[in-house]
Amino acid sequence: MARNKYDVDETLETPFSLKHLKRSFIYINKHAKKMILALILSMVAVICSLIGPFLMKIAVDTAIPNKDIHQLISLSLILIASIIISVLLSSIRSVLVSQIGQDIIFEIRQDLFEKLQKLPFSYYDSRPHGKILVRVIQYVNSVSDLLSNGIINFILQLFSLVFIMVFMFIVDVKLSFVIIAGLPLFIIIMFIIKPAQRKAWQNVSSKSSNLNAYLHESISGVRVTQIFAREDINKGIYVNLSEAFRSAWMRAVYVSNLVWFSVDNISQIVYATIYLVGVYWSVAAISFGTILAMGSYAQRFWQPINDLSNLYNNFINTIAYLERIFETIDEPVDIEDVKCAIPLQQIQGNVEFRNVEFEYEPGVRVLNDTSFKVTAGESIALVGPTGAGKSTIVNLISRFYNLTEGNVLIDGKDISQVTLCSLREQMGIMLQDSFIFSGTLIDNIRYGRLNATDEEVIQAAKIVHADEFIKEMQHGYSEEVNERGSRLSQGQKQLIAFARTLLADPKILILDEATSSIDTQTEQLLQKGLNELLKGRTSFIIAHRLSTIRHCDRIMYIDQGRITEVGSHDELLAKRGAYYNLYMAQLVS
Amino acid sequence: MFQLRWIWRNLEGNKIKYSIGILISVVSSLIVLINPKIMQIITDNIIVGIKGTNGVVDRQVGMLMPLLIIMVSVTLGRALMRYLMIILFEQTSQTLIVKVKKRLFENLQNQDMHFYDSYRTGDLMTRLTGDLDMVRHTVAFIVYQITDSVTLFLAVLVYFTTVSIYMTLLIFALTPFIFAVTYIFSKKIRPLYVDLRERLSLLNTTAQEDISGNRVVKAFNREEFEIEKFTKKNDEYRKANLKASYMWLKFSPVIEMLAQSLTVITVLAGGIFIIRGELTFGDLMAFSALSWAISNPMRMLGIILNDLQRFFASSDKVIELYYSHPTIIDRFDATEFDGKAKGKISFEDVTFNYGHETILENINLEINPGETVGIMGATGSGKTTLINLIARFYDVKSGSVKLDDIDVRNIKLKSLRSNIGMATQEVFLFSDTVDSNIAFSSPDMPESKVQEYAKVADAHGFITRMKEGYDTIIGERGVGLSGGQKQRLALARALAVRPSVLILDDTTSAVDMETEKYIQQKLGELDFTCTKIIIAQRISSVKNADKIIILGNKKIIEQGTHDELIAMHGYYYNINLLQQQGYNALEEGELIGAQ
Repeated sequence: MARNKYDVDETLETPFSLKHLKRSFIYINKHAKKMILALILSMVAVICSLIGPFLMKIAVDTAIPNKDIHQLISLSLILIASIIISVLLSSIRSVLVSQIGQDIIFEIRQDLFEKLQKLPFSYYDSRPHGKILVRVIQYVNSVSDLLSNGIINFILQLFSLVFIMVFMFIVDVKLSFVIIAGLPLFIIIMFIIKPAQRKAWQNVSSKSSNLNAYLHESISGVRVTQIFAREDINKGIYVNLSEAFRSAWMRAVYVSNLVWFSVDNISQIVYATIYLVGVYWSVAAISFGTILAMGSYAQRFWQPINDLSNLYNNFINTIAYLERIFETIDEPVDIEDVKCAIPLQQIQGNVEFRNVEFEYEPGVRVLNDTSFKVTAGESIALVGPTGAGKSTIVNLISRFYNLTEGNVLIDGKDISQVTLCSLREQMGIMLQDSFIFSGTLIDNIRYGRLNATDEEVIQAAKIVHADEFIKEMQHGYSEEVNERGSRLSQGQKQLIAFARTLLADPKILILDEATSSIDTQTEQLLQKGLNELLKGRTSFIIAHRLSTIRHCDRIMYIDQGRITEVGSHDELLAKRGAYYNLYMAQLVS
Repeated sequence: MFQLRWIWRNLEGNKIKYSIGILISVVSSLIVLINPKIMQIITDNIIVGIKGTNGVVDRQVGMLMPLLIIMVSVTLGRALMRYLMIILFEQTSQTLIVKVKKRLFENLQNQDMHFYDSYRTGDLMTRLTGDLDMVRHTVAFIVYQITDSVTLFLAVLVYFTTVSIYMTLLIFALTPFIFAVTYIFSKKIRPLYVDLRERLSLLNTTAQEDISGNRVVKAFNREEFEIEKFTKKNDEYRKANLKASYMWLKFSPVIEMLAQSLTVITVLAGGIFIIRGELTFGDLMAFSALSWAISNPMRMLGIILNDLQRFFASSDKVIELYYSHPTIIDRFDATEFDGKAKGKISFEDVTFNYGHETILENINLEINPGETVGIMGATGSGKTTLINLIARFYDVKSGSVKLDDIDVRNIKLKSLRSNIGMATQEVFLFSDTVDSNIAFSSPDMPESKVQEYAKVADAHGFITRMKEGYDTIIGERGVGLSGGQKQRLALARALAVRPSVLILDDTTSAVDMETEKYIQQKLGELDFTCTKIIIAQRISSVKNADKIIILGNKKIIEQGTHDELIAMHGYYYNINLLQQQGYNALEEGELIGAQ
């Protein structure tokens, strides 16, 4: 899949279909009971509210002309009772509906997030993170009202429409047709508006996604922007994206507001026509009462249509968000447990690559026919030019990517046949990026093993020599840090990440440029402590500093996706090959 | 209410347009009253007819057509007005939002590091999205809801006084209750919305960090934990939402009942007045027909206040960011470089504090144009801080940092920074093409130039090996590239500035030796003079520098060329030994003064 960036609209793979609405019924169905209850309450409340005009009629027709104050008072009491009942029922309905609405967005958001946890690196690598975030937050928020209130109102309005139609036809068939005659016109207008409206709202969602993506990157990369004094250019880009959003929004506004505009006018014309027809052409046939009644029916008939078209409007712009949400939930997961995957038992740490071939993009081989065996407890250094495939090899051990060809085995078991969770659980991976979560330092280290005690965390920090600088901080281990924070130097972040990995107590330890920013002395001290810990663990270390790699049991020299040299430091030196050259480059002044 | 004043100020340039919108809202609300009046005439004069003195019912059928045409025209005219009004409100609110966004974004871009230490990304995102949308909603929607309601309410109230003073007073007696209820409500709901807003921000932060840190999450197999964490925030957000809506639902029935009690007043009081001969049937009908024009605004008042409280909670956050000022800004008398700076850097008695902690103390250092200086030192010894002071990411506590003998605080930031090319430790690349990333400082740089810098940074090779070459889009933060590749792109990006001062903060740590050697050689052959400051952990990176500085304990502890430092038998000597012989040196006790 082509990668996406902030100024490229995401294309929607699936065409519009009712599928999305049907799909949302999965969420609605869970609350069917509450939903039906709310519907019933609404109907009762509506009926109660209809009592009012009826009581009014009695008061005007009988109580007042008869000067019967007692009757007037009792009528008022009934009226008050009906109001109280109707208001209470509506309130209960509202409580139910807001519960349903909140539950539905909770569940959709939860499904979306859980899906995101399953998606592989490649998903995150191929689009700006702001575009993922906007789906989890804004889009989900946008759909809640439609899926709770919207559905109930939709049903209610349909009911009242049918209800009114029945009454209408009972009173006068001819005039009923006049009332309904406006409907085809309305439907035609809607059919003309709909495609434009849908497109306009989809555009709004794309533009807001772009805007969000750029905003997110701009915040994350603010330091780079400042270093390169690019604030003005970036502001220009952001303003352009805002303008693009503005015009997309305005277009949607122009189109969407045509809906109520047509309903208002059509219904008024129909209303006028009733009087015209009634008075001019049917003077003899139709009574005044009928004309009055039909006039009021005409208004009542078009009211639900007006509401329905508003709902429809809402639906069209919401569906644009639902589509994106479901698209993410449906995203295929390349890396998941195979059908009868078995959990990997406590491993010893033997790793084997058998004729592994790998490519990120079809046609671009990153690893060629790579085979090697590592026995439990061995420490392996991977060296070689950047981009040779060192990180790829270690990423394959944890099955972050699926192989193109060949097998990776741990303790003789093919890792593609075991559960991902049981596999990764036993690995400790320290990546090039040491991501720091917002929170305290101690929680950041504890991320490696959630149930570790404070003492264990501090112990790990001591081993990697992070304890010294942490203690010097104002709040020590409780110091609050965040993702972009400048409170920690890069080297300190790496030490934190190191402690985190150590705490995980893995059988296989992978250090990918993990110590590149740590000064040599600290690194040496750290390694001394580590050597004890490395005993009994298999470790893969990617590094460029010779002091880091020379004491590994074996060194693999990787070049252009192949292992070209393997052996201990001394063996490789004796060989006078690529490693020798590398070593000499560092030694020779 | 200062929030509303703030909005009014930001409508600058659109105030007339906005006022026209409000005017239309008022007029169109009054127009609503025309059609019922016409209907009344039609009913009285045409349908029912007027009974003449001779007992003949006179039905003025001829009036029907014109009246109906007026009615349809009124509706059409009003619909056109409302459409225009909505467009006006939407346009002005969008203009306002774009304007505010621009300012907020500008503020974000100019904030210093202290600011970013204390605000979470997710929270800042919330301010520019959800919070700002609440502001938009208020400007584009709530405001005309208010004017609609108030107009209708007052107009009908005035009309009612012409019909019956007593009835009007009775209805008016309801308003204190409505006001009292809504006042209490808005006091109570405010903190709930403040809380709700905070929950949204936390939810946003949790999701954002999970997405940005997805590699760490996967590496530690923490998907379950992340889901748990998210579920908690998601649930808290849901609960905060429900809490606010329960509060609303506690008050809305009261408001609704008060609004509906109008019908009771009409029936009961109206009936009694008629019985006592103080009111006619026609008057009662008029009250009954227009009672919606009183009760709807009453209902709306609750809804409006609800939304307004939400608006206040959100707009406070927006306004805070709107008026936030970075502490590092141009001095009014700041100068600019005429063309490029020469690249002379001097530190004079520089002391720097972060909070209460002293990071650097009495640093004195002079670097001549074109010189190469290497900086080494323990983790956290202040190496990055030192170079951050040159680019003025922080201001010194005392002493001064000078570029070409001008205190950096007296140079315009833009001018200062455009003379500096920096490759930071943590490489941040934008999800954009390779080409745009390298040409970050000047987006219209020709591709041939881009390639030239890529070649110096030894990035050309791997770039051209990618399928789409320089047009390849890199993932956010450069994910998908190896550490060494990212560093080389960052180097090319810094070189593309053609800086007078090139700062490489640990830029070749993930690059292999041979590549590093090649880069060093290329850096020596640049077609422009530039002062190079190289922070590194590897001796090989700094060995050939004109001067090497060792930072330790807040001070410069060693200074000199490679050979001089070796001869000093100090920190540098030890590091050199360690790197060549590995940790064995520690054990073999060859180190000088080893702990």
